Amino acid sequence: MSLRGGLRFLAKQIFGGVRMLQTGETAPDFEAVDHNGNRVKLSELRGKKVVLWFYPKADTPG
Amino acid sequence: MIGVSFDTVEENRKFAKKFDFPFPLLCDTDRKIGIAYGAADSSKDEYARRIAYVIDENGKIAQAHAKVDAASYPREQLATL
Repeated sequence: MSLRGGLRFLAKQIFGGVRMLQTGETAPDFEAVDHNGNRVKLSELRGKKVVLWFYPKADTPG
Repeated sequence: MIGVSFDTVEENRKFAKKFDFPFPLLCDTDRKIGIAYGAADSSKDEYARRIAYVIDENGKIAQAHAKVDAASYPREQLATL
């Protein structure tokens, strides 16, 4: 493998690994603060259906 | 229902107030949730991808939505809960 090929391979390993989670996988637990300063922990919501909605930026249309 | 973006508490508070969202908006300022769920590539990403998941009662991914419309998605999903 050439140096360039090796670097490309490494870059793909490091940066190209992002993918969406698949149906059936365990949702990774997380804890974060919400807009009111309250802590929200996913594992504490076990027993409830949770919709996790990612949006790019607060207060931008569409 | 939980919203997630990389905004600050202050930015999300304004957003929640304006649209009267009846659910928490998480401030993933270090992008940890975004990276874990494939909504960001690194902690330097400015914006989260428009994706969504439905997580079932046992903490498993029940549905993965690769592209969601930000304007209508929250309303549609709230109707299913």
